[in-house]
Amino acid sequence: MTWTIARKEILSNLLSYKFYVVILLAAILAATSFFVMTRDYKERLADYGLIRPKAGEPIAVNPPNPLSIFAKGLDEAMARSFEVETIGVTVRAGQKSGNAIFAFFPTPDFLYVVRVVLSLVALLFGFDQVSREKEAGTLRLMLANQTSRSAVLIGKWAGNFLSLAIPFALVTALGIAVLGLDPDIRFSADQVLRLALILVLTLVYIAFFLSLGILISTLTRRASSSVVILLFIWVLLVFILPNLGTLVARQMVDVPSVRALSEKREQVWTREILLRIKGQGDMPSHIRTISAENDALEADYRIKFDRLVNLSKNINRISPVASFVYAVTEVAGTGIGEEGAFKREVVRYKNAVLGRMLASPDMKSSEYPAFLYRYRPLDRVLATGTLFDTAWLAAFGVLFFALSYLAFVRYDVR
Amino acid sequence: MIATIVKKEILGHIISFRFIVTLTLLLVVVPVTTFILTNDYLKRIDDASLRQAEIETYLRSYGHFNRIGPILQATPAPIPFHSLVRGLAPDINLGEFDNDPLPVMFPLIDLVFIVTIVMSLVALIFAYDAVSGEKEDGTLKLTLANGLARPKVILAKVAGGGLTLLVPFLLSLVIGLLVILVHPGVDWKGTDWLALALITLGTALYVMFFYGLGVFISSRHHSSSASIMTSLLVWVLLVLVVPSLSPYIASFLSPTPSRIQVDREVGRLSDTERDDLGRKLQAERLRDLIAKYPVLAERMSEADKKRLMERDPVAREAFEAERKATQGAWDEANRIQGGKIEDIRKAAKLKEEAQTKLSRFISMASPLSVFTYLATDLSSTGLRNEAHFGRVGTVWDQAFGAYQRRKIADLQAKDPATDWWNTPVDMSDRPRFVYTEEALGGRIEAAMPGFLLLLGYGLVFFALAYVSFLSYDVR
Repeated sequence: MTWTIARKEILSNLLSYKFYVVILLAAILAATSFFVMTRDYKERLADYGLIRPKAGEPIAVNPPNPLSIFAKGLDEAMARSFEVETIGVTVRAGQKSGNAIFAFFPTPDFLYVVRVVLSLVALLFGFDQVSREKEAGTLRLMLANQTSRSAVLIGKWAGNFLSLAIPFALVTALGIAVLGLDPDIRFSADQVLRLALILVLTLVYIAFFLSLGILISTLTRRASSSVVILLFIWVLLVFILPNLGTLVARQMVDVPSVRALSEKREQVWTREILLRIKGQGDMPSHIRTISAENDALEADYRIKFDRLVNLSKNINRISPVASFVYAVTEVAGTGIGEEGAFKREVVRYKNAVLGRMLASPDMKSSEYPAFLYRYRPLDRVLATGTLFDTAWLAAFGVLFFALSYLAFVRYDVR
Repeated sequence: MIATIVKKEILGHIISFRFIVTLTLLLVVVPVTTFILTNDYLKRIDDASLRQAEIETYLRSYGHFNRIGPILQATPAPIPFHSLVRGLAPDINLGEFDNDPLPVMFPLIDLVFIVTIVMSLVALIFAYDAVSGEKEDGTLKLTLANGLARPKVILAKVAGGGLTLLVPFLLSLVIGLLVILVHPGVDWKGTDWLALALITLGTALYVMFFYGLGVFISSRHHSSSASIMTSLLVWVLLVLVVPSLSPYIASFLSPTPSRIQVDREVGRLSDTERDDLGRKLQAERLRDLIAKYPVLAERMSEADKKRLMERDPVAREAFEAERKATQGAWDEANRIQGGKIEDIRKAAKLKEEAQTKLSRFISMASPLSVFTYLATDLSSTGLRNEAHFGRVGTVWDQAFGAYQRRKIADLQAKDPATDWWNTPVDMSDRPRFVYTEEALGGRIEAAMPGFLLLLGYGLVFFALAYVSFLSYDVR
């Protein structure tokens, strides 16, 4: 019986105005996003080709991550070049800096389309599931037969989920297939797996919003009030809570500004160099002091900053949307955790290079080790928060579905 | 009669569920945002003064002209308006090792964000059933069954709805402003209040645009469920898609050379190519000299040269001429290559400016961008302020340069052999960088086209709603 209802839902969706509008919208947006972000990725890849260090140069550069087409996250920060010199690390940022308009608006990657547009679409599929049929009078006809309410609800959920997920999965798969034909973009087996995981996460996310939509639909008598409530909840979950959370966290954790930090570094450097000019100690020992003090400053900053990041993450997780964003970016390798791991790796590389420099008499060596960043393996990514975020998102979905079941069982269908 | 319908619209909205939810939402979000941003602003002031103190300490110990470059720089200062509008805050710091990843993940909230995202959606939620909903309820035909002209009805609907919408916003803004007024650390001046008044006017135009759009969509549909679908679709496109895509489209239409490529090219021009050119020019000039002074063709050590110069005045002349020619050749090479570098940089800059302009132009298809530029320019946190900051910074740079030259001249006057580059100098009398916002007149002038555009967009959709409603089948 459940399947019959699900089929009926799918068929009636296929005939509705709403279905075509939203599926068309989602498809066009996903396609545009793929196109735009692929170009962006290729431009950054070309830049990488230019700045890639020659063998033996003490420069740490990580190539852009092809998964950034789907979730750009912090890839721009991770694809900068870090040149190691005796005085410290010189950072060169890439592209976008020439056009300030980029800074005004969010990046239109796949993650953005899913996070903002697809969630809205899922709500629009769910908002009138119960109230519309009640208004039309078909709900009591359905329940006048020997159909259990749980079968109706599950059938409705499944039917709508499928009529949303299948077209979207098809469009996305098509987009990925087109990307796969591009010779410049190559995904490793691991990245394909990660991509599959991102799609699964997307489906869990859709399921969450669909359950929320159905829940509100079972709690309201009229479709029009259901849609109003849902839009407010949506704005709160997608925009307000995650964007406010970081600012709230900043109120509670004191982190020195980055500018102050780099001025402190400058001070250390000047002090040591002037001591050297005065003739105290030899150069390598000064360099060692500078490096050690800078590392201590960095470590101190990192501790505070990590506290801020963790707090802001936890506050933001009030909204499962934030959990979704964290999970997807971490799986894609463009998340906050990955960036932190990358920076630690750069510091380690800097110390290795500095060791070599100091070991040679003129503090120059022609052969430095090459920098190679290995992304954290998937199991490690999952273990450090991503699994939790996924479970958190899924739990909310299940909770909302359970609540809508409770509400629907008592629903007055007349 | 219009007054009656406006009143009915206002009363109808005020007792509605959506009005209460909107009011509650805004009453919570706006004051909380203001409170947090105000604290954030105060923190930034603290940080700035701490840094200033650190810089003073640094200068007392290491006031060498060789060591102050990275420390004494023009840096943007926090301005009181940051307690409402963040604008283009330089939080992300991609140029530093410790960049901030948090705002990349979720942009931080401010008044502009609340207006652009929340208020536009609220306006559509208020408007989507203005016509189609009344038709469904059957009240529209009753209204028109009396001797009431359609233009009056639609005009009253837009006016009443728009006015009701602004009430929750203004109320929440007033409470938010109380936070600013009560805080002793935040000192808003008259110009700030004036700028805020103008931003509020912009908000009204922006909200009216979306309300007009909603009424237009509503009068194109016969069921309110279809009109909310279309409204949301249009909202997604205007608010979420067009602005985000615009810089990417612009970069497609008007590409800029990658900055890394430009840097590479500049490096090549000032390094290997300059050396080649310098050597070539040097060889050419020396060839003529050798014809004149055969002594130059001989290979000899520096010591031998010195001895020869002391003995022979002709040789002395020859070597001096050689030194001059070499210097001239390298100066020439530097000049030529410097010109080329400047050309490349200038061309890249022009292209970047063209792309920025195009992005801005494309994004203005969405009223969200128009309002964002208008509000950030008025609050001096936007693009215009970046240019202004650049100008103020240059003025200070020049003043400091003059100060440095004067100090160096003083040092040299005392002792010509001094290493002025590495001698500690008392710099307590240096010109200090004080950031001043651009005068409000200039900002208003810059925001004018935005106001007109918002008004124009609003009028267009109102006209469309009017025309659609005239031919609307109310049965």
